[in-house]
Amino acid sequence: MFLAIKEIKHEKLRYGLIVLIIFLISYLIFMLSSLAIGLSSQNTQAIESWNTQRVVLNKNSNINMNQSVLTKEDLKNFKMTKKDAVVGELGIVAKAKGHQSVSAQFLGIKKDQFIYKDQDLVAGKKAKKTNEVTVDSSFKDQGYHLGDKISLNGSSKKYKIVGFVNNAKINIAPIVYSRFATWKKLRMAAPNVAASAVISQNSKLDFNYKDAKTYSVEKFISELPGYTAQNMTFDLMIGFLFVISLIVIAVFLYILTMQKMHNFAVMRAQGIPSKTLISATISQSIILVVIGVIIGLILMWLTALLLPDAVPVKFTPLIALGGTVGMLLMGIIGSLIPIRSILKVDPAKAIGE
Amino acid sequence: MAVIELKDVKKVYGKGEAQVVALKDINFKADKGEVVLIMGPSGAGKSTFLTIAGSLQKPTSGQVLINDADISDFSAKKSNELRLGKIGFVLQAYNLVPFLTVNEQFTLVDKVKKQNNLSKAELQDLLKQLGITKLLRKYPGELSGGQQQRAAIARALYANPEILLADEPTALLDTQNVEEVGQLFKDLAKKRDKAVMLVTHDPRLEKYADHIYEMMDGTMTKKK
Repeated sequence: MFLAIKEIKHEKLRYGLIVLIIFLISYLIFMLSSLAIGLSSQNTQAIESWNTQRVVLNKNSNINMNQSVLTKEDLKNFKMTKKDAVVGELGIVAKAKGHQSVSAQFLGIKKDQFIYKDQDLVAGKKAKKTNEVTVDSSFKDQGYHLGDKISLNGSSKKYKIVGFVNNAKINIAPIVYSRFATWKKLRMAAPNVAASAVISQNSKLDFNYKDAKTYSVEKFISELPGYTAQNMTFDLMIGFLFVISLIVIAVFLYILTMQKMHNFAVMRAQGIPSKTLISATISQSIILVVIGVIIGLILMWLTALLLPDAVPVKFTPLIALGGTVGMLLMGIIGSLIPIRSILKVDPAKAIGE
Repeated sequence: MAVIELKDVKKVYGKGEAQVVALKDINFKADKGEVVLIMGPSGAGKSTFLTIAGSLQKPTSGQVLINDADISDFSAKKSNELRLGKIGFVLQAYNLVPFLTVNEQFTLVDKVKKQNNLSKAELQDLLKQLGITKLLRKYPGELSGGQQQRAAIARALYANPEILLADEPTALLDTQNVEEVGQLFKDLAKKRDKAVMLVTHDPRLEKYADHIYEMMDGTMTKKK
């Protein structure tokens, strides 16, 4: 540690540049991870807020709630409990006079079921009448207010916003909650249509009858349009960044070690053991990574604070911890590469040079 | 009893037609309180002699005795401990660690060798003798050649070795500095009871030597 700290203090520019590279990589890892989690969360926010365990859909819907239609016949034998709630979903465009259009998901829910009851309101009240809606709080960020009247899909019928709800996004789109009857009307559903899906908090639910089929929430989420592809893309980018950081750290340390071979030979000739030189190299790598990552963490924290809410960045303690541990691991592995060269240092080379 | 003795030491590099005999049946001894010069032209085998005497490499045959103990077959770890405790090196370009101040060069020794280093008072005395008491906070790059030379000597003596091996210690010094360094080595040998072995081809150091060995084509003859 002594040699590591002294060298870094003496060679500020050289090691400062390495810290800069590590900081940039870690910042990028934190940013991409936060974006990945943010986007992923916007896909699943509502599903998680409902504490969903199982989802009953039409088996021919490709596990997509928007495409699913459950008939009364399909649900004939389904015994509704307080842990189950029916939803009717419809993709819509909401617009109020003087405001921008918002692509949203309309969810019809029933007053006596948990989704309606558990709505986490940030302002206003729950929709009681068929011409009332509660909307995701992101509407508020776009300038909508309580009492604004919105039209859906350009129809002349107006719906009054009576509440703003927290965590009400599905598949990145904000949700417009209203009464189940309103959904039926909007969808112009045939009399035998019962719902788009049944959301259940019962992890043991396994209802399969006619066209109705039960899926785990994990399966349901993984089949959300674009969800898996998006997550895999981010995972790949983050994975590559870790590999790049490993290569950068290893290459830098290797080059620096090669430049110091004569110094190492001299120290070995003077009786300084190899383990002191090896521990100095590993410590140096850890110190550089820690400094770079701390700067990356601070800047990422500030970035997350300053970015507008519209940017789906979610910088969580888990990302900070995971990124830090990952970078430290890369630093340690990277510092092991030059160790073979250090072990091979011939102290006799110090003589006559 | 000689503090260091080489008996019939031979060093061969390579095999077959590429074989080079660097040292041929070298017999050498030095005692505490003596300055011994090993002279000779480039390629005579001086550096090879120094690396074997300093336990930096093993001889092909023969014995290297330090305080009568044969070190020829020492493991790398034991050689390391020997160098750290018994042998001080002053190398050609002084070879101080460039990113450590003069004072930190001693701290590095303290980190790896906890006992029998010079006390604070002894170090102050040595620094005073070397005339570098005011240079403790300087980095090697901030020192002149002569100052670096003195700092390297202090660094080598800090671990309190019995033997001081110097490789071309005056190669980068002007005449005035050579005289000073020559006298310094003599004082170190006499007053601090060290065996000082100087590998050099600088005849200006001859007057400070108790014994002079001449090397030529891997053989050694005693001149004085």
